[in-house]
Amino acid sequence: MLSTIISGAVYGVQSHLIQVEVDVSQGLPCFQIVGLPGSEVREARERVKVALKNVGVKLPPMCINVNLSPADLPKNGTMFDLPVAVGMMAALGKLKKEETEGILLLGELGLSGELKPVKGVLPIAREAAARGIRKCLLPVENAWEAGLIQDMESVGAASVQEAVALLQGKERGTTEGLQGKAQGEEDEEFLDFADINGQPVLKRAAEVAAAGFHNLLIIGAPGSGKTMLARRIPSILPPLSLEESMEVSTIYSICGLLQSAGSLKTTRPFLHPHHTITGRALAGGGRIPMPGVISLAHRGVLFLDELPEFKRETLDILRQPLEDRQVQIARSSGSQCYPADFMLVGAMNPCPCGFYPDRDRCRCTPYEVKRYLSRVSGPILDRMDICVEALPMGFSEITAKEKGESSAAVRERVMAARQIQESRFEGTRLRFNADMGPGEVERYCRLGKGELRYMERMFSSMQLSARAYHRILKVARTIADLAGGGRIEEIHLAEAICYRQSDRKFWQ
Amino acid sequence: MKEEEKAYYHWLAQAVGVGNKRFLRALTEFGTPQEIFTQALSGKLADRLSERFREKAALLSETSRLFDVQGEYERLTARGIRFVMQEEDAYPGRLFQIPDRPWVLYYAGTLPSKHAPAVALIGARDCTEYGRYMAGQFGAAFARAGVQVISGMARGIDGIGQGSALREGGYSMGVLGCGVDVCYPRENRELYEALLAGGGVCSEYPPGVEPRAMLFPPRNRIISGLADAVMVIEAREKSGTLITVDMALEQGRDVYALPGRATDPLSGGCNRLIRQGAGLVSSPEELLEELSCAAGGVGSGRKARAGGVKAAAVQTKLVFLEGPAGELWEILDFNPLPTQELQRRYEEKFGKTITLPVLFQELLELCAGGYARQVGGGYFMRVMKT
Repeated sequence: MLSTIISGAVYGVQSHLIQVEVDVSQGLPCFQIVGLPGSEVREARERVKVALKNVGVKLPPMCINVNLSPADLPKNGTMFDLPVAVGMMAALGKLKKEETEGILLLGELGLSGELKPVKGVLPIAREAAARGIRKCLLPVENAWEAGLIQDMESVGAASVQEAVALLQGKERGTTEGLQGKAQGEEDEEFLDFADINGQPVLKRAAEVAAAGFHNLLIIGAPGSGKTMLARRIPSILPPLSLEESMEVSTIYSICGLLQSAGSLKTTRPFLHPHHTITGRALAGGGRIPMPGVISLAHRGVLFLDELPEFKRETLDILRQPLEDRQVQIARSSGSQCYPADFMLVGAMNPCPCGFYPDRDRCRCTPYEVKRYLSRVSGPILDRMDICVEALPMGFSEITAKEKGESSAAVRERVMAARQIQESRFEGTRLRFNADMGPGEVERYCRLGKGELRYMERMFSSMQLSARAYHRILKVARTIADLAGGGRIEEIHLAEAICYRQSDRKFWQ
Repeated sequence: MKEEEKAYYHWLAQAVGVGNKRFLRALTEFGTPQEIFTQALSGKLADRLSERFREKAALLSETSRLFDVQGEYERLTARGIRFVMQEEDAYPGRLFQIPDRPWVLYYAGTLPSKHAPAVALIGARDCTEYGRYMAGQFGAAFARAGVQVISGMARGIDGIGQGSALREGGYSMGVLGCGVDVCYPRENRELYEALLAGGGVCSEYPPGVEPRAMLFPPRNRIISGLADAVMVIEAREKSGTLITVDMALEQGRDVYALPGRATDPLSGGCNRLIRQGAGLVSSPEELLEELSCAAGGVGSGRKARAGGVKAAAVQTKLVFLEGPAGELWEILDFNPLPTQELQRRYEEKFGKTITLPVLFQELLELCAGGYARQVGGGYFMRVMKT
């Protein structure tokens, strides 16, 4: 007898529904899975066989064939265990056809018959809902993920017997409360801006960067609070919208990281890989491509501390994602595209010892300084819209009693600026000022006559480059947005000019 | 001296390798380089030398057989590299005043003139912004006054002073610690080319000699030797620059130093020199006056003094700026200060608050006007407008 179960698999951030066809017929006893199964999928045979035995289902000595359709897509992961087991029961006549129809099944089996959580439930359930499937049966731990999808009834089961009982309608699964959990108690363990004493320039630059989603480069001596500030940037970024939250959660679901989060990601990711990270871990990859750190930082902050310590090749991998806001990974098993729209925050010392240009403490020769800085390739530095110095803190600043401004207060201003950008870019692909290309800069950052004259004067006297010019306009636009969204004025331009990397002139 | 004979000198210079003493000894032993060459060629060189030099002599005989004396000399000249022997008229006269002068001086470009005054402008490689700035000022002022700038083409003060002099159309000579066809440090390639065009480079070492640490201290004696006076811009208490100063004192050159703050390690050497009796010079005009050669030429001391006074007046009465920009200029320093420090000082001094955007705007205004300079990302320093 033949039975068909609906399941799914993830490809990149896309997912496909997979039909699990099980046929049990007379013939030499065998059990095989076809349809490009990966090794985890092939091993489903053993797990299903033993699990079914252990829950009291005897497999007759018959010829069992399982086909995963469409058969030309490679299948990986352990989510096919449950569909295969259920399909087999249906094929053996232990379940009626109607009982399994139109239900998405995903889950890994233990030998005792228990159901274990799997990765990628969120995108698969979303795809299923889009295809008109209204019900899914999942391991208990995963059930809430699918519960996030509208019009999707998500039922959790702890074991294969329970799953069968649920399908037969003998038991009623608990779907209540899933929605509640899904909305999530946001883990508001935010580090607050108020913890940072002093550093007014640094904080201001971070605010501007957050408002326009500009990449930020922090240069400063060791212990000047570069890392401390970077960690607090997510707390001033606007919270994720539902759509963004879905995007981010999807990536986390694919990596199996949504489980530990226990709810939809509502806070912006903050990723800070160590500088020994490999290019593959950063960009994603592997035999079976998986999202890398830059995709996990999607819609959030990617913080690279000690920028020059990263391998040059590793950093250069960032160039394409910084441009395209996504990363394309081609492997023999197929080419995947992962979103990677992150805010890059880099921190570095100004020289090997860290105290340049403080000549009392820094004994680095200009050559050493130059060589140290040249470890970061120009194209990466070119993508840094805002460059700011973090200064070593004095005693009075360390021990200051009065608290700085809280993140909430800063975030309010950032959100206001964000709103202005949203209405400006309505109907375009742009979201933040930082996304503007040269053409868009011309369109949205138009200067008045006076300002144009001002920039002309600055251009020659400050020796700006054409590239710097566009960066300055973008940042000035954000500063003007923070000030209420009116025209770009001289004062906004001046501040933006001060944030440029003085084109590495003094680093000679 | 005949060209033919010079060709043999070139052979000898590159054959004995670096070192003035060996060169000298070989010559006193054999008389002429041609004689040495003949001896070497015939293999008899070893007989005339002591046991210690046998091996070297054998090697010399071997290599001299393959050496095309006249051809090499022609090739050298074709590359624009020349050399002067002590016996020649072209040999810089100032070097006769120093002991242990080089017997041969290779050069490219032109040698300094005997008639125009020359000052060695030297200082630390890892200089501060202050030093960088002052070296530029001195270099330019010397060039305008027709003073030749002698230095070592090193990183930091040396290169900055020479570059500045050349940009003003002055003459500058770079004394190298390697062959004159080797540009060291490499990043000074631009300066090297400028020196070849508007001045010269010289070295006592034959072309092709790579820079080595041991070669640099001896060249310092040539720097001071080619100059009438030595001006130290910045130096730490223990600095290679002070070697040049020691040499200068041995050679009887006047030493001048630019004072700095007591707390500044890079002015430590200069301040100490002043304490020990070096002339205190705080502007190029003062030094020009000391040398009694003002902008017009040699010997017009009064004119120079007037020039100096005028320059000083310009420096202190610089601020015609009004409003916050003028106030800001007052708190700016020649040491780069971070923006937030400027904000703090401003609020302390004038008792009123200034927001960061306004501060940025005013600072930038000063920069654009040439009164200040942005250093690094968030540092600003005062500069003297010229």
